[in-house]
Amino acid sequence: MSTGLPNVRDILTAFSPSSDFFAISSGDGRIKIWDAIKGQLQTEFSDFAPSDSSSLLPEPKRGHLSLDYTCMKWVQLERKKKRKTSSSLLVLGTGSGDVLALDVSAGELRWKVNDCHPGGVTAVSYSVFHRCLYTTGADGMVCQIDASTGSMKGRCRSFTKSVSSMAISADGKILAAAAGRLKTFSCSDNKKLEKFSGHPVAVRCMIFSEDGQFILSSGVGERHVAIWKVGGGKKKSASCNLSMDHPAILLDSKKIDNDEKNGEGLAVLAISEIGVCYFWCGNSIEDLHKSQPTRISIFTESKKNLELAIYAAKLLDIPKPSSGQLFVAFGSLVKPSFQKLLVQCGSDIKLDDTKGGVLLPIGSFSISQKGQTIDMKGTVTTLDRANAEDAILPIPKLYAHDKKRKHIMTKSSVDIEKTRADPIGNKTKPQPLDRNVILQRMEDEDTICIEDKLRAAGIVAEKDDPTVESHSTSATSTTLDLYSGGKISVDANISSKKVRAQVSSMSSIDAFKLLEVLISVWKKRSQNSNHILPWIYYILVNHGHFIMSQESSARMLDGLHKMIRLRCSAIGPLLKLSGRFRLIMTQIDKSGNKASSDEHHGGGKAINDDNDDEFDDEDDDTEDEDIDELVYGEDESGSDEDDQDRT
Amino acid sequence: MMTGGQSFVSSPPTFSNDGKKLLVCTGFTVSIFSTSTGMKIVELEGGHTDCVTSVIVLPVAMSSSKLMSYCWTSSLDGTICYWDFDSAELINKVNVQLPIHSMVIPNISATGTDKKASNHYAFVSVEDVNISADENKALRGKIQIFNLTNSHRVGGLLAETRNPELLSVSKNGEFLGITNKRKLHIWKIPAKDFRFDEIKKIKLHHTKNLTSLAFHPNMRMLAGGDVTGRILIWIGFGRRKFARNSQIDNGVKDATDDENPGVRGGDDAASCSTWHWHSSAVKFLFFSSDGAYLYSGGKEGVIVVWQLDTGKKKFKPRLGSPLVYFTESPDPSLSCVSCANNRIHILKMPTMEITNSIAGIKLPFPFTVEHKGYRTRVAYEQTNGLVAVLTEDYCVQFYSLFDNHEVSEVQVCKRNFQPVDDVMLYVALVAISDDGSLMGTIDVKLPEESLGELISLKFWMRGSRMAEYSLSTIIYEPHSDAGVSCLAFRPGHGMAVTTSFGGEFKAWVHGSHFKATDQLIQRTGWRCQSVGSYKGKPLSAAAFSADGSVLAIAAETVITLWEPDTNILVAVIGDTHSPITELSFIGKSEYLVSLTHGSKPQLAVWRTSKLGLFWSYKLFAEALSSSRDESQFAVLVLINSPYETNVNEDGVILLFDVENPVPVATWMVKKAKGGSLAFLHANPSFHESEATDGEKPTLLVYVNGDHEYIIFDPHSKDNITCKNTQKSHLNLEEAGRFGYASLYGDLSKSNLKQALVPEITFVPSEKPWETIFSGSSHVLPPLTKLCTTFLASLLEKRPNIDD
Repeated sequence: MSTGLPNVRDILTAFSPSSDFFAISSGDGRIKIWDAIKGQLQTEFSDFAPSDSSSLLPEPKRGHLSLDYTCMKWVQLERKKKRKTSSSLLVLGTGSGDVLALDVSAGELRWKVNDCHPGGVTAVSYSVFHRCLYTTGADGMVCQIDASTGSMKGRCRSFTKSVSSMAISADGKILAAAAGRLKTFSCSDNKKLEKFSGHPVAVRCMIFSEDGQFILSSGVGERHVAIWKVGGGKKKSASCNLSMDHPAILLDSKKIDNDEKNGEGLAVLAISEIGVCYFWCGNSIEDLHKSQPTRISIFTESKKNLELAIYAAKLLDIPKPSSGQLFVAFGSLVKPSFQKLLVQCGSDIKLDDTKGGVLLPIGSFSISQKGQTIDMKGTVTTLDRANAEDAILPIPKLYAHDKKRKHIMTKSSVDIEKTRADPIGNKTKPQPLDRNVILQRMEDEDTICIEDKLRAAGIVAEKDDPTVESHSTSATSTTLDLYSGGKISVDANISSKKVRAQVSSMSSIDAFKLLEVLISVWKKRSQNSNHILPWIYYILVNHGHFIMSQESSARMLDGLHKMIRLRCSAIGPLLKLSGRFRLIMTQIDKSGNKASSDEHHGGGKAINDDNDDEFDDEDDDTEDEDIDELVYGEDESGSDEDDQDRT
Repeated sequence: MMTGGQSFVSSPPTFSNDGKKLLVCTGFTVSIFSTSTGMKIVELEGGHTDCVTSVIVLPVAMSSSKLMSYCWTSSLDGTICYWDFDSAELINKVNVQLPIHSMVIPNISATGTDKKASNHYAFVSVEDVNISADENKALRGKIQIFNLTNSHRVGGLLAETRNPELLSVSKNGEFLGITNKRKLHIWKIPAKDFRFDEIKKIKLHHTKNLTSLAFHPNMRMLAGGDVTGRILIWIGFGRRKFARNSQIDNGVKDATDDENPGVRGGDDAASCSTWHWHSSAVKFLFFSSDGAYLYSGGKEGVIVVWQLDTGKKKFKPRLGSPLVYFTESPDPSLSCVSCANNRIHILKMPTMEITNSIAGIKLPFPFTVEHKGYRTRVAYEQTNGLVAVLTEDYCVQFYSLFDNHEVSEVQVCKRNFQPVDDVMLYVALVAISDDGSLMGTIDVKLPEESLGELISLKFWMRGSRMAEYSLSTIIYEPHSDAGVSCLAFRPGHGMAVTTSFGGEFKAWVHGSHFKATDQLIQRTGWRCQSVGSYKGKPLSAAAFSADGSVLAIAAETVITLWEPDTNILVAVIGDTHSPITELSFIGKSEYLVSLTHGSKPQLAVWRTSKLGLFWSYKLFAEALSSSRDESQFAVLVLINSPYETNVNEDGVILLFDVENPVPVATWMVKKAKGGSLAFLHANPSFHESEATDGEKPTLLVYVNGDHEYIIFDPHSKDNITCKNTQKSHLNLEEAGRFGYASLYGDLSKSNLKQALVPEITFVPSEKPWETIFSGSSHVLPPLTKLCTTFLASLLEKRPNIDD
């Protein structure tokens, strides 16, 4: 079969009554029984030996190719008596006119009727009511065969020419046979009831609807399914035509349970010659006539000749009026797949048959085509032990850690409270329940400092001093090293004499640059200001004139001055609050008088315009800052030392 | 009500006379399979109410024109049934009263059809249930003889053993034997006129415990296999004692005594030789019908064919599972071998090629390594009504509960399973999301000399077909070295949570993310979304609420509730007496139910709105399942009561409505240890599709410790005694429940009062002083009292220290 479209016409299929097995015969005389639940081949019949070897002579084995099956039906003998082990027969008609009944589960031929219909059996159907099989064939006769024994119970002539299709209603009363025309017979007395004309060609498939009200039929080459009303009086034309793109080979229908208003809702399923499944449903015949089919087809992305088709389908259930539950067998003939589908009217379904089987070429071709589209189905993501590192959400703080942090924070906040009670004090209220909020607050506490206030005041902004960005801590230390000849570091406790000597030995340009660096460092608070301030002081003293002459210095000095003033203003209120603090201050005053006067003396030229207020206060404040830094910046200096150790 | 999941390999199968059918003991019924197709033909049901233990097919008489298809079956319910297995009809029933573990009918072959109903004598190995197993040296196994024609017991006891043993009989029915520890007991049965007095007995001794026994079909030869894998062949056994038929033993010893090579301690045998190939216990021995070969097999999964003449060996390897039984059919070209993985292979004989296999649900396998946590080895796929069981060969088997049929098998680890190898790897856990689209497995590679332990978590996505899963993501060591205790999927979201004994849980999400390395590769896979822990406590269970909005994780004795998206701890509910082992939300309600094991087992229902205990029972519950829609849940409770007389029924399924601590319904079940429960919604079976047009009833499925299951409607009021799991639908008024409930006492009322205490204690768990208060809640005074004073002390103390 090298033609592009798969040919489903010659394939005989049958589902077992409980839908757990699927029989398929592709014309070579082999019958394969697939396990529809597991999707595996259960067994295969090629030729049969009769079960009762003692009664019959062993037949000459003619080989499986001599058996030319024309129709197949899987019938259930006992109706729901013992559900699990109800015996079922696979009834086959051959082109030579024999009828065979296979007991599939036992794997043996139950009975065989030889030469039942000379010229070939064309249709088999089973009546639960009569517990017998009806067969018809090319001779135009209808035979009634006892299903359990295989004995002929009766024959009658229905047509003079070859009968192409036959169906029997569920209640076993009406038998419909069709050659070109469609006739119905009463099963009890074999009398002709009605005649329907309208099929110009031989009818390929025909079924009764569940309630026996309608006959659904489709002829060879006809691209529609005709629905005929049984007992519809004079009107003998089809009451409804459902059009298809290709001729139908298999039909199934199910009644839709309405609220008895419309009564005759019907869901119809058909499979076309090219293996596409059509599904209609309507609450009435008119409704059905108007309805558009829902197509179920197999999705094939390549143009290769892959015989992928839907071979058989069965309507299992109509859960809702506009949907149906199907059981379909599809895929390749070598390995059909079985799937239960829920079809919604109007939404076409493309079945995806990606894996035809482990050793079949279907799996491999999809990979070879198109390098860009990597099939993500096959790839497997692998994560190793560090799987949590790229967690989307932050890892929540463990309680133990939180404890530690909280203790640290409470401690520091208490310290802050001690020194400057006012701005921080209201922050250490009893902590609220929500943990997130706690964390938030803690951060606030962490960053409450002068620098932040400065930042908030817009004094320490990035644009103000480019050096903040350009010079990292290590850069600062290297520049310092450079200027100091690598011998003296800013951090070390150098005596003021040495600092003065160092500064005075510098050229004015170098000193100016150093000043810039130092100020930025001080603003950044990356170095202990205790050590930086003497340097600034001496630079200003020794190179004040040059610095003032520089254009850029004005802004820098202005910023320096503002910073000092802000620190003063921040600390000012504190002075009035704590008696203990005043005590410390007086001590500092005593010790710090000299230095402050010096600084004032040196730096006065630069800043004297602005601070016309109390000199004393300012002095105190500058010194006070130093102490404040001592308390506050312990961690930072420690970390800086670490940094320097590293560099 | 449906049953299924029966074991096919609990007892040896039997072929029919024409070799076309195979009679297999499947639970309470005998299933008849076709040997040519491997499909089930018919089932003999309705005769037995307990496991069928042996099937004996009446041999065909040559004169008869039709094939005879009659068989005797024995069962643990203490009856012997006579069937016509062609039409599946019960003909006769003989009551033995004691559970029959094995039955043979030695002289069955000697009877023809013309000699109509000549007496059949059945030798049955019964278990005397009147003698308690706890008694020291209790002889519970007894061998009795019954005349099957008139249903009377004949003679006295043939033997008494510690446990009921498997009977073996020679093909001509002349000899009967059992293995009894290190001895073989052999009896000679008079062939013609059976009289009890004429039964003679010899003993053959060995140094190891014997496990199997087989008689040669036409020579006076027998083979015995022992636990170490040796096969002993005794030739000419019983010549002295059995030969002197009807003569009085004069006690004179033969002179040939010393010349018996290999025969131990004056045993009555001409010679004894030992063959050795097997490395572990010989499970079966079988002489071929022509007597030329001996088949043996065991844990290796290899059938060894010994040529008796030359001692040459032939092998049939790679059967993939330990072997249990071997049977030959009357048709010499067919035989079958039963494997421990619940599979019967039908072999074409001279070549030993497998022509067909009959397979059932995979049986539970014993974990060789004791490990906690991985208790449930069964998961349910709700949408299709499948159960997923873990198998020994590193697979997850999907089994359709409604169809009683295997659906698929997903290999979790790419390894070949060798039964003899030490267990190095096992699949420990499987979980399936509610819609069945996702599966998660955990496999554990055991450490070699405490090195190289590897736990890997795998996420699988369902393919287009039912129960077809493909691997999506492998995560090695999801929790570093700690074992994973639980895996739960979030309903309606592509999220899963694993909890570990190491004290952390991780939420995994599925999605596509870009990995910006060299090239942008879109990866769809699972990755860790968040990590959490609670006080470093080992986490043992996790559950999502029905809408997926709340994640409950059991941290030892308390239940922590989390917001799964943001990974925020919402609340803590505590606390139980011992660590929680299982946790579940009840339907869409606000209630949680938890199970605890240990010395103080507890079944507790918690109310999440009040963060407290609602009611509880002191029960040892094995499994728990909650209905998705209704506010009902079912627990499987183990009865370990010494007062319980009925040993068989060791479990009770209790169905509770959450509002009421009195169970709605109770059922007694068997083999509850290792069992599990689940509510199934739809009934997607093909058979039932018409029957359940309207509302689909919620069904409860119970899978017992042997993977047999029963599906029933918990709300139906019919009082059906189920066949398979033998449950009696007890009404609430019946003594069964109250006798058992009164044993433990009804704790629910007192607990309602207690519920207030933990509620207060544990709500403010976010406070910083929490660590200082580590300790049992009942020891500490209530926090409401402590809070203010402690806070005050905190605030005051610090300045003092600093000063």
